[in-house]
Amino acid sequence: MVFNDLKDNKVTSGMVEIGRGLKTVSQHMLRPPVTLEYPEVMPDLSKRFHGRLTLLTKSDGSDLCIGCKACARVCPCVDLIQIEMHRDSAKKPVIDRFTIDMGRCIYCGNCTEVCPVDCIKMLNDFELADYSRQALVLDKAGLSLSGEESDRYRQTHGLEAQV
Amino acid sequence: MSMATEQPTQSLPQGVYLEKDIDAGELTVNIGPQHPSTHGVLRLITTIDGEVVRDIEPVIGYLHRSKEKMAESRSLFQYQPTIDRVEYLSAFFDHYVFVTSLEQIAGLKVPKRMQYVRMITMELNRIASHLLWFGTFLLDLGATSPMFYAFRDREKIFSLFEQLTGARMMYNYYRFGGANADMPEGWLEGALDFCDDFEQRIDEYEAIVTKNPIFLDRTVGVGVVDAETLIAHGVTGPTLRGSGVALDQRKDNPYCCYDEVTFDVPVGQNGDCYDRYLVRMAEMRESLKIIRQAVRQIPGGDTADLMRRRAEGDEAANDIELQIAGQKINLLTYKAPPGEVMTTVESPRGFLGCYLITDGTPKAYRCKWRGASFSNLTVLPLLMKGRLFPDLMAIFGSIDVILPEVDR
Repeated sequence: MVFNDLKDNKVTSGMVEIGRGLKTVSQHMLRPPVTLEYPEVMPDLSKRFHGRLTLLTKSDGSDLCIGCKACARVCPCVDLIQIEMHRDSAKKPVIDRFTIDMGRCIYCGNCTEVCPVDCIKMLNDFELADYSRQALVLDKAGLSLSGEESDRYRQTHGLEAQV
Repeated sequence: MSMATEQPTQSLPQGVYLEKDIDAGELTVNIGPQHPSTHGVLRLITTIDGEVVRDIEPVIGYLHRSKEKMAESRSLFQYQPTIDRVEYLSAFFDHYVFVTSLEQIAGLKVPKRMQYVRMITMELNRIASHLLWFGTFLLDLGATSPMFYAFRDREKIFSLFEQLTGARMMYNYYRFGGANADMPEGWLEGALDFCDDFEQRIDEYEAIVTKNPIFLDRTVGVGVVDAETLIAHGVTGPTLRGSGVALDQRKDNPYCCYDEVTFDVPVGQNGDCYDRYLVRMAEMRESLKIIRQAVRQIPGGDTADLMRRRAEGDEAANDIELQIAGQKINLLTYKAPPGEVMTTVESPRGFLGCYLITDGTPKAYRCKWRGASFSNLTVLPLLMKGRLFPDLMAIFGSIDVILPEVDR
């Protein structure tokens, strides 16, 4: 494809073209707006949205996480996810500490992909601004959803129920 | 003896300052690194004589994030999300080139369906990238409306990407041997809707801009460069095609499924800013053509159909070519076999390459990025010599440099 030279009369063609441009621009005045009035109207986000990280729990509210540290190993921010765990007398894993520094998270979703028990997931929550960096370091209580919320999440996202 | 003479004269930190000798005629002006028209953090040390630019020297490195070194300290899967940031306006291309490099080393086969998904997403991303260029290029030339229109249509592409990958710009969607997940139901229909809508929008853009006399005055005959010079500088992409060389990886070395779709490679004639503009506008139309054909040809069709067929027990719907990944690999423990490969793709700015060496460990031994913008930027001083100062933004805008790709 080769483009033609422009050898029209400059004055007439220029006026015609400016007129055509103005007509096109002024047509936009009659169209409905495409912007959202954001704080009042929230955007419609998909189920796959990469938002705030969360830890799902079992239906009774107990920990679903087994402390395998797979999420920490695939995290591109290296030491973003920090987990400390031990096993109780029945060899069941007990999570002592689970922190995620959301201020450094790049929302890639790697951790959600490797979790063997579908525990760490991403919410549609994107309003994370805060006044201090420390407030963005979330601990287990700040990350965990309650049992009911987790059930609702699993239902909407087509995950298996965890009892 | 006064105090002032005792102190050693402190030399100013390195850099170029306004030279005092104004009578000499030449003046050094610093443009950037924080300047809205440099599209990032590019610093241009400009020597001007009145309105005429005598010399221009780009200073780069303000956005260096050591992407290449990061590959050596992270496992392949761990490194993958950071690739999005190599060139964030067209992140699918970065991912594609990295993932394909590894697939070639490891001999992973990608299902046909996923190759089509990759092709559709890359072409949509090319449109999104060209749209941003269109908006900012015209904003630099003084036109405000096109930017709003371009961002409006870019938003539609981004909402499609958000449905598919969950992110609007940093996708992290392709995986070794396939992709993260299949398309959501009805996504292809959304892509087609966008194509129909954008066809009219792009006509509007051309009505506003293409023959506007002010735009013509600013771009026709400005920044003329011949193909030999561009090839000598390693310039690729629409900038080279604007000078009449039909060099396009999609045609010359078809990757993905580009050999199964028909499209033209638009080339310019004169090699000026106007031709580079026309080439990019024509490329967006060609991308629409590719998306339309790909949506028609994709094996398995829409996900809803495929799921229904699987539920009905249709054996053909479980074919390997319709899966998400050809071979399931454990991302936690994956070790690529030793090997080295160089892959290039046609990104919106030219050849984007990844030279990957693996040595049998979970990490890459070396990962070298070949960014198109880096090579394209080298031609800027040449184009600017002897031109008027106001032409700088027209020329710089028309070669479409994106700084994260320059510095990496």
